[in-house]
Parts: sequence; C-alpha cells; structure tokens
Amino acid sequence: MARKLQVSHLGKTFGELRALQDINLAVERGEFIALVGPSGCGKTTFLRIVAGLEPASSGEVTLDGRAVRGPGGDRGFVFQSDNLLPWRTVFANAIIGREVAGRVGPAERQRTMELLKLVGLEGFEHYHPRQLSGGMRQRVNLARALAIDPEILLMDEPFSSLDAQTREIMQTELMRIWEDGRKTVLFVTHQIDEAVFLADRVLVFARRPGRLRESVVIELPRPRTLAIKRTAEFVRYVDHIWRLIEDDVRASVIEEKV
Amino acid sequence: MSGGEGQVVQGGVQPRPAAGMRLPRLYLAGVVSVLGGLLLWEVVSRFLVANALFLAAPSQIFTAIAALAKSGELWRHMSISGIEFALGYAIASVLGVVIGFAMAESATMKRVLQPWISGLYATPTIALAPLFILWLGIGIWSKVLVVIFLVLFPVTINTEAGLRTTSERLIEMLRSFGATPRQIFFKVSLPSAVPFILAGLKLGIGRGLIGVVVAELFGSRAGLGRLIAQAADAFNMPELFAGVVVLAVAGITLTAGFGWLENRLVPWTKD
Repeated sequence: MARKLQVSHLGKTFGELRALQDINLAVERGEFIALVGPSGCGKTTFLRIVAGLEPASSGEVTLDGRAVRGPGGDRGFVFQSDNLLPWRTVFANAIIGREVAGRVGPAERQRTMELLKLVGLEGFEHYHPRQLSGGMRQRVNLARALAIDPEILLMDEPFSSLDAQTREIMQTELMRIWEDGRKTVLFVTHQIDEAVFLADRVLVFARRPGRLRESVVIELPRPRTLAIKRTAEFVRYVDHIWRLIEDDVRASVIEEKV
Repeated sequence: MSGGEGQVVQGGVQPRPAAGMRLPRLYLAGVVSVLGGLLLWEVVSRFLVANALFLAAPSQIFTAIAALAKSGELWRHMSISGIEFALGYAIASVLGVVIGFAMAESATMKRVLQPWISGLYATPTIALAPLFILWLGIGIWSKVLVVIFLVLFPVTINTEAGLRTTSERLIEMLRSFGATPRQIFFKVSLPSAVPFILAGLKLGIGRGLIGVVVAELFGSRAGLGRLIAQAADAFNMPELFAGVVVLAVAGITLTAGFGWLENRLVPWTKD
C-alpha cells in the first residue's frame, strides 16, 4: 500500500519548552487518523508542522516522498475557528484556495459547487458568513479545504466550538463526506469518543515533553452510525484511551488552575 | 445524514424583520424632540429675549435663508465653500490612504512619519490658517490647504491601523494555501482595512467643514464663512444663523450619505 505521510524523529522546541520529541509515524493513503491527548501535549503543533505553518526543530515530514518545507496546495487545513472572510460569499470563501493557486476556471467553479452540495450547503452559495449558523460555517470551512483537492486533510478540532448535538451531526456528515472520497485525514480532537467514532487509528499523545504514547487501531465496522457509540466495543476503546491519558489530563488541569 | 440536511434548513437564515415598517416609530422620539426644541427656541427668542441682536428665532432664520436663496447669494457662497471642501477632502483622502499604506508596509516609513502624523493630528492646525492665507492669498487654495491638514491625519492613522490590525487567523488561513505576501495583502489585509478607512474618511467630513468655515473667517472673498462674518459685522443675527444652519445641514447630509455608503460597502461590520 502506498505510504502517504511519513514522519521521522520529529522534534519541536519553543525556547526552553520541548513541545514535541521524537515523533515517528507512517500514514497510509486513505487512512483516517485521530490525534488525542491532554492540553499542551503538542498535537496541534504537530498538525501545524505537517501543514507547513510552523517549522520543525528537528526531524522530517514527507508527503508522497517530498519533504514538507512550507504550506502548499497538497494539504487542506480545516481550522478550529472557521476563519471565513466576512466580505465574501459562501462560494467565494470556498474557492479561495483555488484563487491562491491561480486557477479559477469553469471546472474549478463546478467542482466547488459540487463540494458545497456535498457538505449540505446547496442553495446557500450566495449567503454571507454572518447569515450562517456555526455548524454551517464549519461546513464552509471544510468545503474550502476540500476545494483544492488536497492529498491530505488536516483538521484542528473543527467541531469544538459547536454545541453537542450539532457536533454529533457534523461527525456523521464528515463520515459521509469522507466515505465519498477517502482522503487521508489527520484529525486533532479533545474528545475521545469523537476520535474513536471517526478514526481508523487513534494516536494518543502524552505531555512534557509532547510525544506519541500509543497508537490504537480502531476495528469498528464502516460505515459507522451514531448508534455505534452505545456498543460495548466502542466504550471499551474509549475507556482504554481515557486510561492512557487520565493522569496527564489531571496534571494539566491542576497546572491550569495554579 | 438526513438529520444533517434538516439541521441546515432549520439552523439557516432567519428572515429579517421588515425594516421599513418599524422606521416611523424608531424616528418618532427624535422628530418630536427636534420639533419641540425648535418651538421652545421660537418662544424664547420671541417673548423672553425679544431682541434680534442676541438671538434669532427659527422662523426668522428660515426667512433669511429663503431671501439669500432668492437673491442667489446663498448659492454663490455655498459653491465656493463646496469647491474648497471637495478639493481639500479629495486630495487629503488619496494622500491619507497612500501614506497609511506606506506606513503599514514599511517599518522604517512608519518610524519616520509616526511622530509627524501623531503630532500634527493633535495640533489645532486650524490656528495656522492665517499663515496659509499669507502664503497662498485669500482665494480658495489657502482654505483647501487647511482642509487637507484637518482631514489627512485621521485618514492616515485609520488606514495604517486597519492594515496593521488584520486578523492573524485570517492571514494564517490564506497562508495555509501557500499564498504570497501580495495575495495576503489584496485578499485579506486590504478588504479588512476598508471599514477603518471609511471611518477615517467619515471623521474627516466634520473636521473638513470646520476647516473651510474657520479659514474663511480669517480672510476670504466668498464662502459660507464669509457670509457668517459679514452677518456678524452687521449684527444681522438671522443671516448669521442662516449660514450656520446651512453648514449643519451639509454636515448631517454628508455624514448620513457616508453611513449609507458604509452599509453598502462593508455590511459585515454592522451586525
């Protein structure tokens, strides 16, 4: 099977702080990877390094065999806050990645329209962000990343600002969209059940220094529905991952209070 | 999946209340307040002061305006002041935006210009009007220069601030697609600075109008400031107030027009 993303001996320091230490990882094409861990474990930093938004201090990230040196159109980033441009319509926001690449022809417009339909925003193309709900804005955020047809989708806690019900709906929507194209995905989240529900593999991070503690393969059948969250197998995965990070989370909570 | 679609439809756009229906009520209190104030003014000046040397009643002011309009005097003064304001305002707007851009783009430029901009913004440069008249004569250009001095700095400062305070998150979003600095400037920084630039231009309207009139008071052949000065010399209070009222109406109209323009150009800043 083709290896999509290869991370070797990756390290990152911010001054004295060792944010990431010796991360090694291989991701296959079409794999859905979730990253969980306590606050300050470096999972978002890791994602930003893969995106090229942050330089690594040591080690290397390669995508399709090419070393990552900066941001590029082969990676689509879905931000935690939607970061939509308020003066642009939904359509104009979704197509901006294509614009940056300098290619906006009829084919790109057509493709963007199809993506907006895929994320459930058909008929909303000419709305402005302020007219949309939080869930809809995150759909535009997702469509914008998909519109450049990236090799890999990098998602940084994209549903964390949504209410619990909307979040569950967005999880199933993301599964539906993902089944459609089977992009390779790295998905950072705080929520263990979200990670287990979505991923083929959950990477559990530890903190101080930020490092990879365990890689948990999720062998739940696909396509998955929300009902799977109530099965014993699902709960076992969640319990297992929770035990892996529990002490770290308690430590980080105490630190934040002080 | 179907639940998701339902969410889109339900969580979608709420229809806005029909704005036109509520407007009269919204304005009712304001209209009553203004009419009441005018009535009070009329009564006070007619029965309490009762001396046209000290206060003119609204009815007398209105009569004076009508007379000035009929004789053609009003248009002459208005057009001179209007030209002075328009020239100064246009030059200052273009110059202010250009300097603001330069300061936002180059740190050196900012360090060099900042003390002058801040200093001159805080200085009541209108006091230099007599000097400008000495330099440029009592024609329109001395007034144009005063207007430039008053309008330039708020526009410059706002342009620079607008470009500087562009949301880091939006810049990063564009950067994630591999955007060049040039693309970031035109697709994010510039559009997000537009509301700031418009606010600076709006601030400039009032300052510019004051500049025109005060500069004309110091020395001029025509203009609304001239009209006011003549009326004051002749103790013609209705005519003095006529000039002031015309100016007030011009200021209100221009500012309201600007508000309308803002609603059209940068609607996202409104809610």
